Amino acid sequence: MAHGHEHYEAGAGDPGAAAHALHADHGPRVLPADLSAPPAVAAWKTRALIAAAGGLIVSAIIGVIGGPLGFDHVVRAYLLGWMLCFGFAGGGLCLLMLQYVSGGKWGLVLRRPLEAMANTSWLLLVLFIPIIAFGKRLYLWAAFPTAEAVEEGVKQHLLTESQAHSLNWKRLMLSPVHVSIEIVLVFAFMIGVGFILSNWSLARDKDPNAGSLASFEYWRIKSENLSGIGVLIYVILLTVVAIDLVMSLDITWYSTMYGFIFLVGQGYGVLALGVHTIIRLSKYEPLKTALRKTEQYDLGKFMLGFVMLNIYLSFAQFLIIWSANSPEEIPWYLNRIHGGWWVICSLDFIFHWVIPFCLLLSRSFKYDSRKMLALTGWMIFARAFDLFWMIEPNFNDAKGNLHFSVGILAYIFVPIFVGGVWLYFYFTNLASRPLIVLNDPHTAEVLEPEHAH
Amino acid sequence: MPVQEGIYGLLAEFDAPGPMVHATEVARAAGYRRMECYTPYPVEEAATALDVHRNRVPLMTLMGGIMGLTTAFLMQTWMSAISYPVNIAGRPLFSWPAFIIPAYEWTILFAGLSAAFSMLALNGLPQPYHPLFNAPNFRVGATDDKFFLCLEATDPKFDLVETRAFLDQFHAASVVEVDL
Repeated sequence: MAHGHEHYEAGAGDPGAAAHALHADHGPRVLPADLSAPPAVAAWKTRALIAAAGGLIVSAIIGVIGGPLGFDHVVRAYLLGWMLCFGFAGGGLCLLMLQYVSGGKWGLVLRRPLEAMANTSWLLLVLFIPIIAFGKRLYLWAAFPTAEAVEEGVKQHLLTESQAHSLNWKRLMLSPVHVSIEIVLVFAFMIGVGFILSNWSLARDKDPNAGSLASFEYWRIKSENLSGIGVLIYVILLTVVAIDLVMSLDITWYSTMYGFIFLVGQGYGVLALGVHTIIRLSKYEPLKTALRKTEQYDLGKFMLGFVMLNIYLSFAQFLIIWSANSPEEIPWYLNRIHGGWWVICSLDFIFHWVIPFCLLLSRSFKYDSRKMLALTGWMIFARAFDLFWMIEPNFNDAKGNLHFSVGILAYIFVPIFVGGVWLYFYFTNLASRPLIVLNDPHTAEVLEPEHAH
Repeated sequence: MPVQEGIYGLLAEFDAPGPMVHATEVARAAGYRRMECYTPYPVEEAATALDVHRNRVPLMTLMGGIMGLTTAFLMQTWMSAISYPVNIAGRPLFSWPAFIIPAYEWTILFAGLSAAFSMLALNGLPQPYHPLFNAPNFRVGATDDKFFLCLEATDPKFDLVETRAFLDQFHAASVVEVDL
């Protein structure tokens, strides 16, 4: 069987490749010596900064000319931008821990982008300061932080009885001081675990025994042990953030589904951004060699899972509240359906679910890099659109009353500013370390020839 | 059923998957299309060489899913709004949010059944008789340690003499004619 032997040994670089042209793709590929991020990432950083500067200028103009509600809208839109980027940072950390726990080649190709996302947590903590500083424009618990203030508010007819009741009962969790403490604790966890995991990831590659089974097992078990408990804690902490900063925009309303809706939404956004990043990077080395269609396809299936889970949770929440039809809960949906909001609600359903679901069903779509690039970009937009539908109808001027004002344009430009700043640091992190993890058994596996399934 | 006579095809036997895949690639490049690889375990390269990745199962699954969705949704609409209208907590008779979950379940059920049955239908299974089992070496080796490439006689390019000469270039362990 000399012939068969030669058949598998023939590499792509064989000078006599003509004879082997039919089966040149059967041998393992070789990673380039330089695994650092391509120079293109520096150009992306510049573009992110330009977008951020443009977004900041337009936002400032909107804040000034938008009338009394103009600046309010800038603050609300800032919250949207912050939640979107928090989704990437926190969701990135969560997916990073998840891929350590689950294993798999999909995690290997995404690991460095996920670390880059997780390591932006400190930035989100800094960017949180304006939210708490301008909290009075967003949250009743910030505007009426004490029992006396609430009483005064009721006397002046600024608060309803049920709002006053909720404010007093929820003060243990929702007050400017308590929310600040909760956010600091959440970020202490995120920054700490992100720091440890990304340091381990570098130390793992420098291990003198790198490549041996003992080294593989040592690092696998170590990362798994932290990540397993980490995922659990993160889900609880994320629920706290979602309640503190978004659900409490309507102080009287509550949903037990809320934390999970944000969790799945984060997975949705992070996978979209992660896949978008690695497909863009795969134009250049080293991901040109390392990213196979197989992993891209697997990640596409994973994304379809999140698209389904997202609509499942969102619809389940709606169905339960619709069935109960109780006056404590149903106004949340009525505010988001009546007065023209049904247009946004329907578009949200189409953008967020119908389009990605129908496209991701197709196998050839998931194999096509250019189409996946467009779809993942779209999914990030859909995520922001969904947050708009959740945030804006909480406020009295917009409840059950969708109308145009200059201020509403802030929802386009402020998230561009926040997102641009965030992307700058994301790209900086991405460029700061090799894009491929070497001391991992999956690395050899992604270099194996590609099998179409 | 009339008794068919003649040759099913030429069966080349290999001891390793590599040469079989190579032979398949060359045969495809030479213009053969009606051919099949038989291996004791899945060999992905063989599927690639045969270019058999595309089939109609996804389409049948999609059609089944759409059928389940519309059937369940229309059935519930008919039952709740037309056939037996009952006022439940003052809600409209056509309360579509309540219909979504059964419609979703039927989508999955119909899609799953369509996938399974269309797979069997397109496979040609169950198949109690296959001519290849007439070849003794196939009976012994196909599920054990041998790798087979069969070029079928229905291929327009098939010619008993030329195809045998073609297969002989591959250092196969044997090339045998298989009766129908």
